[in-house]
Amino acid sequence: MASSFYFAIVGTNDHPLYETEITPSSRPSSAVDSLKRDEHRHLNQFIVHSALDIVEEVQWNTQNLYLKVVDKFNEYLISVYLSVGNVKFMLLHDSKSEDSIKGFFVDVHELYLKTLMNPFYTPNTAITSAQFDQRVKLAAKRFL
Amino acid sequence: MSRTSEDGTLSLVSESCMDFLLPEILNMMYRTNHAEDIENDAIYYKLESLGFTVGQSLAEKFTQDRPRFVDTLDVVKFVCKDLWTVAFKKQVDNLKTNRRGVYVLQDNNFRWFMRMSLDADPAEATKRAAPYLWFPCGLIRGALANLGVSSVVMAETSNIPQCTFQIRIAQR
Repeated sequence: MASSFYFAIVGTNDHPLYETEITPSSRPSSAVDSLKRDEHRHLNQFIVHSALDIVEEVQWNTQNLYLKVVDKFNEYLISVYLSVGNVKFMLLHDSKSEDSIKGFFVDVHELYLKTLMNPFYTPNTAITSAQFDQRVKLAAKRFL
Repeated sequence: MSRTSEDGTLSLVSESCMDFLLPEILNMMYRTNHAEDIENDAIYYKLESLGFTVGQSLAEKFTQDRPRFVDTLDVVKFVCKDLWTVAFKKQVDNLKTNRRGVYVLQDNNFRWFMRMSLDADPAEATKRAAPYLWFPCGLIRGALANLGVSSVVMAETSNIPQCTFQIRIAQR
C-alpha cells in the first residue's frame, strides 16, 4: 500500500516551481515505519534532481506526454509527465499504479494551466498560491 | 473565447468586446506613454512583451492533450494552424520557408484589419495599421519560445487586410 509521496514541478531552467509532500489519509503506522520515512525525506530533492538527466534523455525517444517510470532509487520509483512546453511534473512514489498516477498528472496539468492563465503569474517562476497547493493535495487524495 | 468553470459550465466572452478591446490596447499605449509619433520604440517593446507573455500561456494551454513536437517545422505549423484558429478564428493562408530558419506566414484576411476603413491614401493607411501587428508578433514569439524555439518575428502589411509575418529562427 502507498506510503508518502513527494511531488515537484520543475520548470524549463531546472528550478523547482512547486514542491509538496503528500502523506496518505491517516493510518496507524508503526514507529519503525515512520522513522524509516523521515530518514529519507531530505533525499527526495536530490533524487528528483538526478532524475532530471534521465528525463532529458528519454524525452527525445517518445512523443508521449506521460513518461511513466524513468528512474529507481532503492525502493522509490520516479514517474514523470512532461508538458509540451517542457515543464516536468515529477512524482516520487513506491507503489506502482500507473493509471491512477496518470490521472493525477492530468489533473495537476490542468491546475498548472489555470495558474498560467493568471496574468500576474510569470511563467517559470515559483507557484506560491495556497489555492493551488490545496487543489493539488485534493487531487492527490483522490488519485493516490 | 471561453473558459470552463469549476462545475463544467462554459462562460463565454462577447466577441465584439474582444474586437474592440484589442485595438483599444494600442490607443491606450499611446495615451499613457505620451507618444506622438507612430514609430515609437517604447510602445513597440511594451506591446511585443505583452504579446510574448500571452503567447507563452496560450501555447501551453492549447497543447494540453496533443503529443509533443518533433521539430521546428512542426512547431511553426502548430502556430499557423492551431494558434491562429484560437486567436483569429482562421488559419494562416500561406506558409513559406527557405529551409534555413526563415518562415514567412501570410494572412490574406487578417481579422484585426477586417473592420478598418481605408482613406483615399492606401500608403498612409498601411503605415498607421502597422502598430497593430506588434502584439501578434509578440504572440508568435512567445508561443514559439515556450515550445522551445527562440526566434525573432517581424511583420509588415502591404495592402490591408493582408499581412505577412516573418519568423527568423535563432541559429545555434
